Amino acid sequence: MNLVLKSWGAYVRATKRWPIIATIVPFIPVVALWSVVANSGMFPRAFFPAPVDVARTFFALMYKGILPDYLQDSLIRLLTGAAIGVVLGIPLGLLIGSSKWAHRACWPILLFFQAIGDIAWLPILLIWFGFGLTTMTFVIVYTVLFPIVLNTVLGVESVHRDLARAAQSLGASRMRVLWEVTLPGALPNIITGLRNGLGYGWRALIAVEIIVGTSGIGFMMFDARRAGSTVEIILGMIVLGILWYIVDAWILAPIERATGQRWGLVTSS
Amino acid sequence: MKTLSLKNLQKTYFDPYAGSQVTAVHDVSLDVEQGEFVSVVGPSGCGKTTILNMIAGFIPYSGGEILLDGIAVNGPGPDRGVVFQSFALFPWKTVLDNVSFGPKIRGVPKAERDRIAREYLELAGLSHAADRYPNELSGGMQQRVGVVRALANNPAVLLMDEPFASVDAQTRMTLQEELTRIWQQRKPTVIFITHDVPEAVFLANRVVVLSKGRVLDQIKVDLPRPRVWDDLMQDETFKRLSSQVLQMVRSA
Ligand SMILES: Nc1ncnc2c1ncn2[C@@H]1O[C@H](COP(=O)(O)OP(=O)(O)OP(=O)(O)O)[C@@H](O)[C@H]1O
Ligand SMILES: [Mg+2]
Repeated sequence: MNLVLKSWGAYVRATKRWPIIATIVPFIPVVALWSVVANSGMFPRAFFPAPVDVARTFFALMYKGILPDYLQDSLIRLLTGAAIGVVLGIPLGLLIGSSKWAHRACWPILLFFQAIGDIAWLPILLIWFGFGLTTMTFVIVYTVLFPIVLNTVLGVESVHRDLARAAQSLGASRMRVLWEVTLPGALPNIITGLRNGLGYGWRALIAVEIIVGTSGIGFMMFDARRAGSTVEIILGMIVLGILWYIVDAWILAPIERATGQRWGLVTSS
Repeated sequence: MKTLSLKNLQKTYFDPYAGSQVTAVHDVSLDVEQGEFVSVVGPSGCGKTTILNMIAGFIPYSGGEILLDGIAVNGPGPDRGVVFQSFALFPWKTVLDNVSFGPKIRGVPKAERDRIAREYLELAGLSHAADRYPNELSGGMQQRVGVVRALANNPAVLLMDEPFASVDAQTRMTLQEELTRIWQQRKPTVIFITHDVPEAVFLANRVVVLSKGRVLDQIKVDLPRPRVWDDLMQDETFKRLSSQVLQMVRSA
């Protein structure tokens, strides 16, 4: 019992020191189980590969440069779409959030188009734009846009009315209020929207690459299916998970926490 | 010299759900002298906040007029500083940047506006908190910042709507004493709204009692300054004035 407590204490201290340990440790039993099943001979290895097979393929594809290229393609597509989504979404959200008229006019339309999932646009997009970058970018922008707009609106509405009034009584014009009060007040929500948007966008991107892609992680996975290479498919899935984890847990979540907590916007209202 | 004057001010709200009109302010006329401290008291719903919001320019008025130094008030502006019950400090700005916000909007250069802000923070005994964020301060300290932020912008009138209602009783007394001290040093024109009759008398030169959207009565407060609670609590004149105002409010 004592030994258990002691090693638990050591684990907690170690994760404090190196947080990555807390991320990796839970996967040890998962990978172990996977390994046991793969090696049990229950399924043929070509049908259900083991972790070592995937690792070997990973290094092979890294060495050949295919994986880095595809990864780069996917990330650039995601970032382009996200950038356009931010540039369109934040001003739109600010407008809808701060104008009663804009809200009345746009909100139902927004909800209508949000209901049409990103992938549901593909058939018509393929006819209009064909199998290419335009179609992919459209879908990513579309996916990223809604969480950003909706969260920005929420953020604007969450800014206490007295804050805008205080700024006006100190001489701020409407534009100045927007810049000095509305935008910073809505920022934690905007970042939450961006975080969600990128998450959805990432998933949508893979789906689109599977259908229209000529490169990228999604394409790699679907191409592997044609060749019957389960190893590459599973490798693709793992890369997706790890990559997103890195982006979300190490970049987006800390930014979200930093803005909200520093200003006390998360704990108090 | 009078600086602010309300003439037959009237406000009717439209209630879109009931489809009817509610008259919150029937007919209010009031002149405020330059450098005067006027407290406004009255039962809940008598229109205090409505009047203050109209003077601040946050809501339009339905009749009469509001003149500030002879010019009709139209929308919010830096000539009317406001201290809010909710404090309304900018959470993403440090205390110093909150206080220097008004001068910043006016285009005062950074070094100069920081000097102004530090001077006012000193006045409120807050020099040590200049670089902190509002959520790191107690409620009492936050409202001190709220007061000097408005003062640092040098408004013609300072409008306060129950500014000390959400701090504890001890802190409130300290804040009241500090406000009278600051008022004596700077002599701003103040309109101070409150539920608290002793507070109204303690602070003011004049107490205005409202009832159902009208001015019921006014009373001059000629207590000597500086005013501190230790002295006034036992003071016969203070007690008499307070009970007089209380009676008016209760009959309102
Ligand atoms: N936006 C509004 N729409 C409709 N009626 C309103 C609105 N704001 C206030 N009223 C009504 O106007 C009257 C006066 O309200 P006001 O807030 O000015 O009172 P008050 O004296 O500040 O009260 P309290 O002491 O409770 O703060 C009340 O009857 C209130 O219901
Ligand atoms: Mg009120």
